[in-house]
Amino acid sequence: MNNAIEAKCLTKRFGKNPAVQNLDLTVPTGSIFAFLGPNGAGKTTTIKTLMNIIKPTQGSSTVLGVDSQKLGPKEFAQIGYVSENQEMPDWMTINQFLNYCKKMYSTWDDKFCNDLINQFSLPLKQKIKNLSRGMKMKAALVSSLAYRPKLLIFDEPFSGLDPLVRDEFITGMLDITEDRNWTIFISSHDIDEVERLADWVGIIDKGTLKVIEKTEDLQNRFRRIELTLADPINIKNNLPREWYLLEQQGHTVHFIDSQYEQAKSEDKIREMFANCENIIVSGMSLREIFVAFAKKFMISEL
Amino acid sequence: MINFTIKFQYGSPIYEQVVYAVKKAVVTGQLKPGDIFPSVREMAKELRINPNTAQKVIAHLARERIIEIKPGIGSLVSELNTATKSQRDQILNNEVEKLVVESKRLSIKREDVIDAINRNWKLDK
Repeated sequence: MNNAIEAKCLTKRFGKNPAVQNLDLTVPTGSIFAFLGPNGAGKTTTIKTLMNIIKPTQGSSTVLGVDSQKLGPKEFAQIGYVSENQEMPDWMTINQFLNYCKKMYSTWDDKFCNDLINQFSLPLKQKIKNLSRGMKMKAALVSSLAYRPKLLIFDEPFSGLDPLVRDEFITGMLDITEDRNWTIFISSHDIDEVERLADWVGIIDKGTLKVIEKTEDLQNRFRRIELTLADPINIKNNLPREWYLLEQQGHTVHFIDSQYEQAKSEDKIREMFANCENIIVSGMSLREIFVAFAKKFMISEL
Repeated sequence: MINFTIKFQYGSPIYEQVVYAVKKAVVTGQLKPGDIFPSVREMAKELRINPNTAQKVIAHLARERIIEIKPGIGSLVSELNTATKSQRDQILNNEVEKLVVESKRLSIKREDVIDAINRNWKLDK
């Protein structure tokens, strides 16, 4: 199985409102996939449809090779799922909760579970209802890592967590990658957290997937360009389509090249700006790339 | 424990950045022959990089014989290699030629280039 998740033309409407529209998604096995988008973009609806919590209006999806609508106990035993609004039995202590989960999974690994408990300093005797948000999320993470799932699905795991807890959360999440055949799918509106971790990025807005690409390719092709011109000139109208958000202030011109290639881009710049004196090319963070997309395509910003 | 320094920059592949940081640490003596080199998981967790990237870094370093993989123990930093003839040619002809061409193209003076080489050479104090 090459892809842990596949969705084809996945559509979910609530009444007349499309929450997700014609979504084609491929998440290769062994990847960390960052599913990014502003609040209300359709991230949670997509995940719930994939996980057979809600039914799609149209289209289909598979998770671990099985049709989402046919997912059963056998598949769920291989999937770890932690969501922002994780429902947990408030009246139980962490210890009771973990023992309760343990009974449901034949692959439960006690040693791994204890390592995680220590790593997270979880107070085993405390009741879940008395835990801070951070502790609750960490308890949820332990309960979904300890059976060593093949696929981890996180829906906004970082929201409302302080930086220290986020850090622990990510470290814990990476523990699972010791196993073979792991895949991690994280939805987030927080790009910085997953910057160097994600090898695939999907950007969703208003229910539509705008980008699905390898992080490395995205970062290779996006560059911020700054030019100094000998004389301020009027900019031509027929600028290359891959140049985004061009602005001129006197002698300086800024834009974003979305198809940067070292060998070709400089020639193209000199062709458009014959009197160009200096070219500064700089790489962009995932956040900067996202903001460029947002401005160019009027996506609501994160 | 990560025993080399790295500051990530945007725009070039993370894999290349880590490989380069390790090479620099070896040359400056920050990493010494026989030092234990971090595992894939340690590297992924501490540098916050994708485990696949960390795996690629280790494979590349082993291929270039900068580290040696000892089954059951982990990876160790190797002795500095002596260049083969083709590696010498690559650096002394191709790489230096590129440097000269770029310098001349940008009217950088020969003395300045030589000064810069000498300054950078002291990296390995």
